[in-house]
Amino acid sequence: MTPLTCTKLSVITITGVITQIIGLSLFLFGFFPVKPALPGTSGSESFYPPTCDFVGNLSDTTLPPDQLKSLYQELSGIPPWFDRLILLVIDGLPAEFVLGKNGKPPNKQFKEAMPYTQSLLASGSAIGYHAKAAPPTVTMPRLKAMVSGAIGGFLDVAFNFNTQAMMDDNLLGQFFKIGWKMVMLGDETWIKLFPGLFKRHDGVSSFYVKDTVQVDQNVSRHLGDELRKDDWNLLILHYLGLDHVGHIGGRSSSLMVPKLKEMDEVVKLIHSSINQSQGNRRGRALLMIVSDHGMTENGNHGGSTYEETDSLALFIGLRKHAVDDTSVINQIDLPPTLALLFGVPIPKNNVGILVREAFDSLKEDQHLRALELNAWQLLRLLHAQLSGLPCRNFPCDAFYDHQSSGLSECNHTTENMLCCLYMEAAALYTSWKSKRGFESSSNKDYRSAAAAYYKFLKSASDRLSRRTTYKPVKLLALGLATMFISSVMLSNLMFCRLREMYHGGKKQALNLNDSMNGWSSDETFIVSVVLIIVTCMTSSSMVEEEHYIWYFFISTFYLLLLRKAAQSLSSVGLQSSFLLQKGKSGEGYFRICCVFLLLISGRILRGWHQGGVNWTSLPDISKWLEQAGSQYVKPLQLISAILVISIGLFALFSIESKGKYFQMIRLSFLISGLLVLLHITKYQDFTVSSTNYGATFLVQIIYAILGATTIGTVVALPWLIPLSTSKISPADNTISPPFFPSIQEKFPLVELRDSLYVIGWAYILCWCLLQLLLQQPINTTPILLLLLQTVASVLYFVRSGTHHKEWVEIAGLYYLGMAGHFSLGNSNTLATIDVAGAFIGISNHSTFLSGILMFIITYASPMFVLLSLVMYISTKSMAHLVKPEKANTGDLLMMMLGFPCLVPLVINSILLTAYTVVLLLMQNHLFVWSVFSPKYLYVCATTVCTLIGVFIVAATGSYTYFVLAKRKQKACTR
Amino acid sequence: MEESEKSSQSTISSFQVFSIHVCRGLALAKPENCSYLKAISRGLLGLPVGALLNALGALALGAPVGLQYFERTISWTLLMSSLTFVPTACVYGSCWTDWHRIFACTKPKGPLDFMLCLPAHGAVIGAWFGAWPMPLDWERPWQDWPICVSYGAVGGYVAGMVGSLALALMRTGGKQLKAE
Repeated sequence: MTPLTCTKLSVITITGVITQIIGLSLFLFGFFPVKPALPGTSGSESFYPPTCDFVGNLSDTTLPPDQLKSLYQELSGIPPWFDRLILLVIDGLPAEFVLGKNGKPPNKQFKEAMPYTQSLLASGSAIGYHAKAAPPTVTMPRLKAMVSGAIGGFLDVAFNFNTQAMMDDNLLGQFFKIGWKMVMLGDETWIKLFPGLFKRHDGVSSFYVKDTVQVDQNVSRHLGDELRKDDWNLLILHYLGLDHVGHIGGRSSSLMVPKLKEMDEVVKLIHSSINQSQGNRRGRALLMIVSDHGMTENGNHGGSTYEETDSLALFIGLRKHAVDDTSVINQIDLPPTLALLFGVPIPKNNVGILVREAFDSLKEDQHLRALELNAWQLLRLLHAQLSGLPCRNFPCDAFYDHQSSGLSECNHTTENMLCCLYMEAAALYTSWKSKRGFESSSNKDYRSAAAAYYKFLKSASDRLSRRTTYKPVKLLALGLATMFISSVMLSNLMFCRLREMYHGGKKQALNLNDSMNGWSSDETFIVSVVLIIVTCMTSSSMVEEEHYIWYFFISTFYLLLLRKAAQSLSSVGLQSSFLLQKGKSGEGYFRICCVFLLLISGRILRGWHQGGVNWTSLPDISKWLEQAGSQYVKPLQLISAILVISIGLFALFSIESKGKYFQMIRLSFLISGLLVLLHITKYQDFTVSSTNYGATFLVQIIYAILGATTIGTVVALPWLIPLSTSKISPADNTISPPFFPSIQEKFPLVELRDSLYVIGWAYILCWCLLQLLLQQPINTTPILLLLLQTVASVLYFVRSGTHHKEWVEIAGLYYLGMAGHFSLGNSNTLATIDVAGAFIGISNHSTFLSGILMFIITYASPMFVLLSLVMYISTKSMAHLVKPEKANTGDLLMMMLGFPCLVPLVINSILLTAYTVVLLLMQNHLFVWSVFSPKYLYVCATTVCTLIGVFIVAATGSYTYFVLAKRKQKACTR
Repeated sequence: MEESEKSSQSTISSFQVFSIHVCRGLALAKPENCSYLKAISRGLLGLPVGALLNALGALALGAPVGLQYFERTISWTLLMSSLTFVPTACVYGSCWTDWHRIFACTKPKGPLDFMLCLPAHGAVIGAWFGAWPMPLDWERPWQDWPICVSYGAVGGYVAGMVGSLALALMRTGGKQLKAE
């Protein structure tokens, strides 16, 4: 096999990386489809048949609420059946508790716990449904679905994890537009979703899961008052207690029956107040009892099992209905039903269909009109989502041309079929309208028209909701295959490189330490870490508790390093006792000290945040400090910040150079360090967010100085560093092989090392200062510890010379970065992302900039380690690996940058590919949306982080090298 | 209550193991090199030292810190020390060369070294693997610190014993064959 050249290596690496990116994007596109949604909100145009130019009628947006309300009434032709709506949300109540399952009545104790509700059901004044909820069965997305009728894809959920204002068209917004007054009591998610919409509200937090009593009392305390008032049209009550009971004790918890009794009392109270006020000026009221999701036997939710998706929808106040078997609807059927019952347009992205029984009380023409409106709305959505819809243009021109098209094309494709069903229904409706006068035939026509409409609505709704869950298998397979190829390419490249370095050049290796040959314990360990991580990722609990694996591995790795250090310690002087501190074995003791520093700081980091999912409630250092109060946190933060800055500056000063340029770098880092300290002391507080103008301005100045200094250093340093005539070397460098001068004549090794050292520290310092600025105050000490760990590892590796292979060291550093990721409080759930920090120093809202800041905060540790690789390269002496007689530019560059770039790429690509396979295997798993998909998003972000980091390392290394080589050449020829 | 019972059980078992070890150490130690009394005293000295080292190692690997875990950690470290440290301490005392050979380099010479080295390493590796189920959410009582770790350690120790016995037999068998 021909030896690798530098060009070949870089070309293959770049190809591999590009292949990986392509594969990843293919897979992401296939697995998380982005659903095209219609922008804007429905207005009066929704009462007209869909037209081609979707320009909405903008005139009605300016209408005052009262006029808009009457306009809607006039256009729709359906008089609102109710005036007031009471929406009672019981969080996490499975429909099974109230309605039973598969025709069987509910569990006896549950039935007895809710006597009033059961009597309403038995008498037919309440109509109950099993409302099937779509995964993820978590409160916030379910609430969104219940008011908008849209099923969000996973990405919608993931990117809206931070409960922010709902922008899409929804029922509450529509009610607000026609001037409804709304009152909300209960879960504060509603207030976050709809800020400013409620006339009165009293939010309770769902944070204290242990509390099952107070959360509900806080809702009920206002209930009597509100029911007596008549200034609202919509009253939302959201009870969280039942969900909390489930989380504590599961379905069969002893608290469940009392909780159900309490809920039954609430229903009784509301219903009797509605009955009392019947007929007076407050108007008719509809009571809707819904639950957002169900719960498993253990009381958890989030997945897609029957137990979790089985939520309740109970209409109380409709016309009395014959008691029959309870039927199953979808949760998203509620918004269109409520919209038309209350006379507002159906929200634009609604996928649900009307609940049949709710419109039984309407007249025939009103019922058909309601169905027509629902059909138009779905048709608009179909137009937007299915490009191949053949009846795309028919509403514009040949609307009544359906007779000619006939039923012949009905069965070709889904699109054709949908189109056909719609036209059939529309035709039946028009024929019913024309025959309305004749009583005899109209009843039959009415029923067939309604049936045709329901058929169309059902298949359109199925088609639209399947669209969000449907997965293109070919695309997924292609993406996976591409990723696999790229990871094989990269690993193959690395093995070639390894073989060349350690086995091809046997002769060369022999005169080095004998531990260079053979497969030593640390190498086995490094490889097995990757394998074990991959295996563990197939278990959902291990994904949730991934940080334990990393902590365990990284400290085991340090213990192995300790053992290695102990080995060499005594090979220097076997009989030398422990008392001998200096002399030859001093080096060994230094390394042992490094390892102890690593172990101790690693243990503190581990205890800092109790991450994960299951054990978050256990005590940890950050909780303890926060409880102790800010008088402890603040000094600790300041001390850590000062230490970080002084370590960085000390490292920059340790290089002996008197050039003005170096002084400037030091000075500007000193200034920005002081500014960061100023910001910490002055503005960072627990209570005040940094929305203050002065704080923002200060942070922007710091950003500017840091950016300018770092980029300036990287770009200009290689040009300005003096070419050596006398030796300049950083303090850490020790080894200089005998043939070093001969290479030094050809290559600017000393200058290269020096400039990379300074650039590396500039990167490290810049990143640390950024983190000091952006991270939460409590995370300052972990940053200091991470810096210490990185420096200690690099020092250890430098002192151990050739005891460890380079790739082992880099892999160890990479693992250190991953362990640090978790010790900064991150986990594999999206909830731990620090959103507050993402707005520091941004004066006007920009999703892009805050996204970048969020990435910087979340990936602080992996990126930090990757950036410190530049410094690591500078401390490594690669001279002994280069054969002086045939060394050329490419060889040297490959020696320098080969492993630092390849190792992170290979590890990451293996993890990425393996995790993709896991995600595919688990796509029907219970926890696919709650555990595996968030983890996959993290894996993707880690990939991005690794690619960026490696790119920076490679670009910096080669840029510096080429500039210096050019200057050297010039100096030689002169 | 159950936990304290468990920890007291493990304390008892660690003393049992310790006594067995002292006996075994005595059997191994050649009488001409040192007396039984000396071996016992070495073992007794080695017990707390080994316990301390094991405790440090366990803490570094993430053993819980806190007063409520103190008793359990002590019991566990005594067990670990008697599995790993005491036998070697009984045999070699504080001779740095031998310790270095057995524990740092893992280059045992002869059956005696094997009998010391393999079970000790087995116990450590077993304990390492025994820690795996701890973070999982199975909610079993044995997942508590240090129950499954102790099981792992004892399992690894037994495996090491069997292995070293087999190795020793093979070696001596081979030697005898050669001699014949």
